[in-house]
Parts: sequence; structure tokens; C-alpha cells
Amino acid sequence: MPIHEKSLIRPENLHVHEELEIDGVDVSGHWSTFIGSRVVTDYNEDLEEEIAALPGGEHIHRCWQCGSCTNSCTVYAVNEDFNPRYWIYLIRIGMEEELLRDGDIIWQCVSCNKCTYACPRDVAPEGVMKATAHWLELKGHRPKSPSILFDEVFSEQVFATGKIEEGRIVRDFFRRTSQPLVQEWLVEMVRRMVRHLPLKQLMTMGWFTILRPRTRGWGRARAAIAEHVAEEEARRRAALGLVDKATE
Amino acid sequence: MSKPALIVGGGPAGLTAAYALASIGQRTVLVEKEDRLGGAPILSGYAKLVPSGEWARDAIGAMVERVGANDLVEVRAGASVEEFSGEAGAFTARLTDGSGIEAGAAILCTGFTHFDSVNKPEWGFGTHADVVTTTQVEQMFSSGDGVRCPSDGRKPKRVAILLCVGSRDRQIGREWCSKICCTVASNLAMEIREELPECHVYIYYMDIRTFGLNEDLYYWKSQEEFKVKYIKARIAEVTSDGERLIVKGEDTLVKRPITIPFDLVVHAIGMDPNVDNLLLSSVFGVDLEPHGHIGRASVYDAMGATSRPGVFVAGAATGPETINDSIAQAQAAAMAAYTFLHGGRAAAK
Repeated sequence: MPIHEKSLIRPENLHVHEELEIDGVDVSGHWSTFIGSRVVTDYNEDLEEEIAALPGGEHIHRCWQCGSCTNSCTVYAVNEDFNPRYWIYLIRIGMEEELLRDGDIIWQCVSCNKCTYACPRDVAPEGVMKATAHWLELKGHRPKSPSILFDEVFSEQVFATGKIEEGRIVRDFFRRTSQPLVQEWLVEMVRRMVRHLPLKQLMTMGWFTILRPRTRGWGRARAAIAEHVAEEEARRRAALGLVDKATE
Repeated sequence: MSKPALIVGGGPAGLTAAYALASIGQRTVLVEKEDRLGGAPILSGYAKLVPSGEWARDAIGAMVERVGANDLVEVRAGASVEEFSGEAGAFTARLTDGSGIEAGAAILCTGFTHFDSVNKPEWGFGTHADVVTTTQVEQMFSSGDGVRCPSDGRKPKRVAILLCVGSRDRQIGREWCSKICCTVASNLAMEIREELPECHVYIYYMDIRTFGLNEDLYYWKSQEEFKVKYIKARIAEVTSDGERLIVKGEDTLVKRPITIPFDLVVHAIGMDPNVDNLLLSSVFGVDLEPHGHIGRASVYDAMGATSRPGVFVAGAATGPETINDSIAQAQAAAMAAYTFLHGGRAAAK
């Protein structure tokens, strides 16, 4: 039976040295396990405002830690490490390192919004989860998630042409997520489309794939959207303390 | 004409009782041991009161003025009651200044004593200059100087307010909740954020008891509008690294020890029983309740009655109390004393 207390300590805080001598005393091996400090020594006071600057995070400061969000959470029901209440707390008091430990599960929120309904203080925890996932990506702590990449492919195409062309979206999305274009399910889907869709529609789709038509008079709308998107992105990057390379 | 009522203590409760009795034509003698009236809000220099937001000197000052201007109230400041004898309806009080009072009834409005933070030495008061009490922060605001670190007068960048200092603490024999400190602390936190927007304010709590209507007006508002941060932790000790204060404890919500630097640490001090209560108990012959406050004879029956017929009690003398409730209790006690003096049902009992 190992020492029980060790189960309470994170593995990375347990230090065992193969060969170590301190002041003439041999402290090598398992019986001289060291425990790293887990004392919180400071808060990052900007963290809450950074999350609040991203869409969905605006009301995070209202949280009073009742746990309604976690209790109602769909993901928590299958993974107890998924704890919105806890992350909101870490953000509010600025325990950034602690938050980053869970960087690989925070984005798993399925946006069912049960928490939004349960929250007595209108924190909108689902929005906070979205903002936090976004923050992790903007700060470079996590690669862009497939869903963010899809959103980008989708919106870039709408911004460029005013239209959506499904074939290109799928192709571009696969390229950005390094997926092969030929996938079993996709081949099957195309085969059925060819079999069942009217000829005219198939021709239109093919035609659009080649010609990439734009919505008439899209130029002005595109300029306005581009300006707005650029402004929003600059605002968010500034709020997160990220300096734009262009303005450096 | 009946004998006057003796009112002991010139704080919000005593001032209210005197004015209430005067307004129905009853003479009173108001004895105050300090040299001026107003009680804790005036003598301790409170700033803006909860929940009105009025300055204490304006709100309580007006109560002092209307009593001072009333012919039916005789004020004897700078003296306290040394001896109190006789039967109900015919009491004789002797004061420390040698004078005497013939009174038909008495109302004890003797209030409370602020907890002395020196009794919690681990939290650094008296050891580190930048550890202060809520009363001192009130004075920083009421003096117009604003919140500064006493050690060098700098504006604090980070303030920690520790709740339940001298409350809910068996170690020091204060098992009660002092009732007002959570609300006072959240109010001060907002005022600090208003005066120093760059300053971060953290409140360390066990529970937040901003009771009744104060919930959203103080607790929620301080979080939502003023971004005051609440951390569920009871602090173990306040030390110093030579430059800043170091607050140690456990953040219970993340199960992690904390060692955080602060510029200013504020103790939200509780309300002790008046330090003179043993003396008052023996002079007036009234029983104290188990915590050491002046005991009430009945919760539901007689208004403000003590164990001695003809002697009534109101305000923070009975336990931690807000100014509003002290005023309400004083009006009730005035009613009871009046009925007693004029042979009403209370006297028949």
C-alpha cells in the first residue's frame, strides 16, 4: 500500500531523485520523495477582465460559486473533471496556471445551455466556457479547435463571396484539419447525391465550384464586414495584451 | 406630573428613546458618559451609513440636535450612573459627577464595544502598521483623507478585508455573528474601489451574511458593479516580508494554500458586549444574557423589558444590532417605559 497522502498530490509535484546528496546526506530514491510547493503566491488580476472582454464572458464577475452550473452540466455528468464552477473561480481570482492545467478539457463544452438556465446570477456559464476556450486559443495555449477552424473556413468564404459553397467548405476544412479529402463516408455521401439529386442541381453545384460566383454588389458589404471584423479582433487582442505584429 | 425617565447612553438608541418620549410629553434625563452625544457612529467617526448612504455626522448629528433642542430632554454628558436604587416607579440614581436623579423608569441604551483586534494577534493588528480595522477605514473616509497605508501614506494597490474578526470564534469566546460586518465590509470595499479605481479589493469570508435587503444592494452590487473579489478562506496569519503584508491561509474552493502579498489588510471587527456590562449589571441589578449583553426578560411579551421591573433596554446593548433596528427597539422601549410610568397594562403585570 503506497502512502495515502501521495494520492492527494499531483504527480508533477512529486520529485524522486536517482542520485542526490544534500549536505552530505544521501537522499536518493523512492524513500526520499520530495514534494514541490503548491502554495498560491499571487493572483493574475487581469485574467477576469481578459475573459470578460471576449464574447460570452461579460458576466463572469457575477459568480458567487453556488455550483448550479456544474451540477446541471451535461459534460460533468460523464467527466467529473469538467467543472465550470471551478474554472470560473480560477479566472475570477486570477489563478491562470491552474486554469491552464485543464486547457485540454475546457473546450469540450457542448453548449447545451443547461447551466445558463440554472444560474441564479445570470453569469451565462456557457458563454464563459466559450470565451475561455477562445482565450486559450488566442493566447496560444491550445491549437485552434476543429469547430473554430470550421467557423473560420465558413465565415471567410461568406465574407469573400456572400455565398456558401458546400464543396469548397468541406475541402478547405479538411485541408486545414489535415484530413484526407477521400474519406469513406464522404465517398458514400457523394455517391448517393449523384444517384438521388436532380441533374440540374448537381450541375449548378459543379458550376458554382468552378466559377465561384459572388453575390451581386457584394464589394461594399464585404468592405464593411472586413472593417468590423478587423476592429473586433484588434479590440480583443488589445484586451488580452497581445500586440499585433502589424502595429509593432 | 410623573417622574422623568432615565435614559442611559446617548447613541442612536438613547437619542431615539429620548426624542420618542419627549414627543408624547414625557420628561427624560439622558446620561452620557462621554462629553458629547451621538454614540459609536459619532465618537468612532463612521463615514457613510448603511443602508441610507448618509454621512453619520449628518444623520446622527440631526438626531443629536433635535434632542438638544427639546425642553423635555435634560442631557447630562460626561457622567455615568454610579448607584441606582429604589423601587419601580421611584428610582434614585446617583451620577459620578455627584448629582442625583429621581426617575420613574430607566432605559439602558448602553450599546456595544468594538472588538479589539489585538486579541487576534495572528492577524497582525498592532504588529504591522498597515493592518487596520473597519472603524479606521471609516475614519479615513469621514476625515476626507481617503484610504492610505498608515506606514508611509501610499495609496494601496491591493486591499484584503478579513471578515469575522472577533465574531464566530470560539478561540476568543465570541461565538456570535456580529451581524453588520459583512454589509459594512462590502460597503467599504465599494467605497475603496470608488476612491481608488486601480486598487483591487479582496474579501476573505467564511459565509457572507449581508442579510435581508442588503443582499443585492451590497453583496451583489459590490461584485457586479465594483468588481470586488470574494474568496472563501479563513486567514491563518498576516505577516510581512519587510515591504508588503503577506496573507496566509487556504483557499477552500480550490483546496490550495495561499500566500498572497497585500498593501493594506482590514479587519472587519465585530461587536463585543459593552466592556462596562458587568458594572452596568451590578449597578442596575439587571441580568446579562449568556454572551454578556444585557438580557431581555421576554422575546414576545414585554417590549424591551429587563429582569428588573421598570428598567428597559434597547439597541446594541442587547446584542449586535444595526442602527435602524436600534432605533426601532428604542421606540418600543420608550413605549414600554411610558406605559409603565403612567400605570398601563405593562405596569399591572
